[in-house]
Amino acid sequence: MTAGDIAAAEVRAERELGRADDAGSVQRLLFGTWRGRIGLFIVAASVFVAIFGSALAPYDPNASSLQVLEPPSWKHLLGTTESGADVLSQLLVGARVSIVVGFAAAFISAVVGSVVGLAGGYFGGWTDRLLDPLENWFLVIPTLPLMIVLARILSPSLTVLIVVIGLTSWAGTGRIVRAQVLTLRERSFVERARALGASDLYIIRKHILPNTLPLIFANTVLIVAVAILSEAALSFLGLGDPTRISWGTMLENAFQNGAPSAGAWWYVIPPGLCITLLVLAVSMLGYLFEEHVNPRLREQRM
Amino acid sequence: MTGRWLAGKAAAALATFVFVLVFNFFLFRVMGDPTTQLAKLPQATPKELQRLRADYGLDKPLLGQFVDYVGDTARFDLGVSQRSRQPVWDEIASAIPWTLLLVGTGTLLATVIGSWLGVVAATRRGKGTDNGLLGFSLFTYAAPEYWIGIILILVFAVWLPVLPAGLQTTPGVEFSGFFDNALDVAKHLILPATTITLMLLGQYFLIMRSSMVDVLTEDFITVKRATGLPWHRVVRRHAVPNALLPLVTLSAIQFGAVAGGLITVETIFSWPGLGELSFQAINDKDFPVLEGTFLVFSAGVILANFLADCLYFYLDPRVQSR
Amino acid sequence: MRAKRLWAAAGALAVVIALAVGGATTAIGKGSNGNSVLKIGWAQDPQTLNPFVGLDEEDFTAWALNWDLLVNFSPKDLGPTAGIAKSWSVSKDQKTVTFKLDPTAKWSDGKPVTSADVKWSLDVLGSNGALFTSYTDNITSIDTPDPHTVVIHTKRPDARIVGGLFIYILPKHIWGKVPVKDLTGSYQAKLPLVGSGPYVVTDFQQGHILTMKRNPLFRGPRPKYDEIDFIKYGNQDAVERALQLGEIDLVPEVSAANFARLGTQSDIDTFRAPAPAFTELSFNMCQPRFCPDAKFNPAIQDRAVRQAVGYAVNRSRLNAIASRGTSFVAHGILPSYYKSFYQQPKQDYPFDPAKAKQILDQAGWKENGSGPRTKGNETLSFNLYARTESPYTIEDAKLIAEEAAKVGIDFHVQVVSTDKLTELTVQKVNGKPAPDFDTFVWGWGGDPYDPSFLLSLLTTDEIGGSSDSFYSNPQYDRLFKQQAGVFDTAKRKAIIARMVALTQRDLPYLVLTYDPNLQAYRTDRISGVHPTCPDGSGDIFCEQISYEGMLPLGPASGDSGGGGTSGGTVALIVIGVVALAGIGFFVIRSRRRGRAEPVELEE
Repeated sequence: MTAGDIAAAEVRAERELGRADDAGSVQRLLFGTWRGRIGLFIVAASVFVAIFGSALAPYDPNASSLQVLEPPSWKHLLGTTESGADVLSQLLVGARVSIVVGFAAAFISAVVGSVVGLAGGYFGGWTDRLLDPLENWFLVIPTLPLMIVLARILSPSLTVLIVVIGLTSWAGTGRIVRAQVLTLRERSFVERARALGASDLYIIRKHILPNTLPLIFANTVLIVAVAILSEAALSFLGLGDPTRISWGTMLENAFQNGAPSAGAWWYVIPPGLCITLLVLAVSMLGYLFEEHVNPRLREQRM
Repeated sequence: MTGRWLAGKAAAALATFVFVLVFNFFLFRVMGDPTTQLAKLPQATPKELQRLRADYGLDKPLLGQFVDYVGDTARFDLGVSQRSRQPVWDEIASAIPWTLLLVGTGTLLATVIGSWLGVVAATRRGKGTDNGLLGFSLFTYAAPEYWIGIILILVFAVWLPVLPAGLQTTPGVEFSGFFDNALDVAKHLILPATTITLMLLGQYFLIMRSSMVDVLTEDFITVKRATGLPWHRVVRRHAVPNALLPLVTLSAIQFGAVAGGLITVETIFSWPGLGELSFQAINDKDFPVLEGTFLVFSAGVILANFLADCLYFYLDPRVQSR
Repeated sequence: MRAKRLWAAAGALAVVIALAVGGATTAIGKGSNGNSVLKIGWAQDPQTLNPFVGLDEEDFTAWALNWDLLVNFSPKDLGPTAGIAKSWSVSKDQKTVTFKLDPTAKWSDGKPVTSADVKWSLDVLGSNGALFTSYTDNITSIDTPDPHTVVIHTKRPDARIVGGLFIYILPKHIWGKVPVKDLTGSYQAKLPLVGSGPYVVTDFQQGHILTMKRNPLFRGPRPKYDEIDFIKYGNQDAVERALQLGEIDLVPEVSAANFARLGTQSDIDTFRAPAPAFTELSFNMCQPRFCPDAKFNPAIQDRAVRQAVGYAVNRSRLNAIASRGTSFVAHGILPSYYKSFYQQPKQDYPFDPAKAKQILDQAGWKENGSGPRTKGNETLSFNLYARTESPYTIEDAKLIAEEAAKVGIDFHVQVVSTDKLTELTVQKVNGKPAPDFDTFVWGWGGDPYDPSFLLSLLTTDEIGGSSDSFYSNPQYDRLFKQQAGVFDTAKRKAIIARMVALTQRDLPYLVLTYDPNLQAYRTDRISGVHPTCPDGSGDIFCEQISYEGMLPLGPASGDSGGGGTSGGTVALIVIGVVALAGIGFFVIRSRRRGRAEPVELEE
């Protein structure tokens, strides 16, 4: 039988089982709940600023001046930094690094986690026996020290940050994918497909993946939040990309250059607040997606 | 839930630790070859390098090096700091008590306060108090802990200078006794411990609250209420103990996050624990110390997880009936 | 009951914490009892107390107070003054210097300081300590005819033997017993660190506190402070906060960002003095015979281009912005700190973009709209490296690029790690230097009195060594060798002026600013402050150079330097007691109620 024949047979079977299309409920969750609306708004605003930040910034964020550590005024809405640069401009430009690193690292983490979880869960045997302890190890090990060690050995840059964060955060996704694949593997439609003679790749592509992707997606959104926090922490410790401004490097500069003892709250509060709000928004969205995928959670939560 | 389960967990913990050793070995000995760092010194002639490699045992085959490494680690010989030329273990050993003090105090306070707030919120579910507490916990959970710490410094050490902003004691002062000394340490502990507490609070709160909510809706609680018991008695006597179990297990997973938070918090408060040691090592590019602290952090997390498993075993209601 | 178990677990945790407190607090260094203590704060403590191994300048702070040199630096003018040697005489051919040692000099353990100690220190430390080898490269032999006489023979006349032999005299009876292999390895001398200076190190907890106590056998005037504590903070900002809060009395290195603000506080005084150090824009001057494989834009070796950069860059503006006005505008490679030898060069480079454009026009560099100028197929487009570890030099680089662009020179600023830039400058191909850069911004620091080190950076001999501009000028080399052997200050100054004139014409370095020494102290804690090293413009206590600067400092009246409990602590105790009482009350209440429960339903 050809792939086309198998697919046709399956479509008929699915129609009989009456699998519902639940794309509609996603929209309901996103736009219908206040959590979804706020989360979406903040994330959208952040992405917008990430793209257009440099154009929106009133000053060149790197421009030094003699007005050092000045409180907010009409000229500088959020005051100035220790080198006389405009805090607001730095804030707007800094969004880009957080968003880019957050999404890119989460993407890598999702890919690696899915591949590992899929391989281990589907093929079982020795593959699983090797991959599962590896996964557990990455889950147990304190992630920030691990990231610090890796980032220190390599030279800090945006790419290194993305790679380091991505390669240390995949275990959560991996475990979820593996669990899901294990359940799916025994389900009737998979058995049927195998009976019909489908190859592993086909089964993975047509059956396992579509049922796992929503789970991966929901989890990845939560990883974005973790990635944003990780990038900020690494930058704060001096392991960020030195050529770029990010919210984490703003906090690092503020702390290292006397902002606390100068009482420069306008320099200290905004970057941290932005990180917090973005992380909150992304997390809220992530939990929403998780509920959608796992309706049982919806009743338990809140 | 038998002794065998616990033994299995112990074996898993040991296996994970061995994994850490292997990882450490490859990362630092193979990738971060110490002789390349030293080779940058002006006096490094090829003959010197040869001698250095022999000293470090780098001319042996890889497996031999690994065996040496494991043996050394077992004897607490973690190498010598590149910066101070002193044994890494000495520096780590003097830092550990301070980290324990900070983590212990922070975790204890977070558990107590977080659980209590979680109970309060669960019993007033949906009302103003609940929403307020929820918002507060989510905020502190999402906020970077070093940011919270800096704000605390701003408020309590700069604007209202009532608390010291760093170190663990007032320097250069002799104290008349252990009690005075302890009081001084306590004074310096307040801000850093508060930061750690706020960092962990949200998790404990959320967990306690959601497991309380679960428990409170369970049937047996309804039965209890029906028998006319006062609500608070039902909560304290029955709901809370049942809700504590998930709290214990889930809090163990946090230990990994605490390690990360420790580094940044100790750094901003100049608290002389493992976190600050790591930060100094990062700046100095002192790889032996970095390797050592990573090992100790990992070992600490593995141990903490295992202890949480033990605690779970100890507290589990099913174990009761023996 | 389950609850009991939980309390037991919590109790165990509390015990662990208490033990941790006990274990940790016993390790704290104690202060003094009623003695006067000077508390100094810093963000970077010494890497080691062992001069054979040390590489950082912070290490000198302790060494300078603990030990003498053969000839010390005078805090008045940084010239030579009695150290272990009371007097000296230079032979006619100036290749032999005879020192008569002070017979009253003793080590802090009671043993006398003899010529054997001097010879051992100069020989062994002078040939093995990375920071000290450059001073002995001219010495052929050292004789010790009697316990109080030392004779040094040199290959050529070397003024440094009298004015700059910056090698500490260590007790041979302690250090001499250790094999050299260990001295340059992990050897740590036992504390107290035996020395002949006014203070000796009695306790060193790396990363926390360095304690030095008065040496009762010091042969000079008795210092007013009995003890000096150097306290390490996590970062520079914490140090300055501590000064403001009164936790420490003195900060020997204030950050430029906070300097102005600290000065506005009523009980804090700040000092700004030139240091023997500069920040420069370095050009790749390497010629093919030295560096056949060097990589750079050949246009950088056109003198007109470099001179144009000199006129195009506004060094005052660089100082105002990048250094927050705390540095000093530079005029040539010899910092103004060297009062005995400094002279403002005739060919200075005042800010004059019009002149820069004129020079470039005359040299044939054609303007190209808003882009870099060109001549034939060469373009005035260069890379400009700055180091991530030094934010000020990064700002310098950006400002330079901004100003040079206005006259048609394009600098592409690249920020790299110190390791990477070091690599780019010292890398070798087939054993010959092959520097891979056009320009970079970096700095150098020199000796307290003798300018030879800074001047040597532009000699041909240093190519392959310290030279990172790879400049080679035989005339400059000749003058350098000449001045090194001139003992007469005035004569030497004239020779140096000619050297500086050469470098101003060729501009291998465009020296931007002279680095400052920024210090601050609390006027309500310290009295007797009189900046020295040199007199009138220098350092509060002549840090790292001469212990004599520390001697006049004493506690301000009414302050013995100790801390104490404050109202804050009392408030804390009250809060703590209330909190404990509250928790205890809560616990007791719930337990009492629990016991009254009639029935226990299991799930």
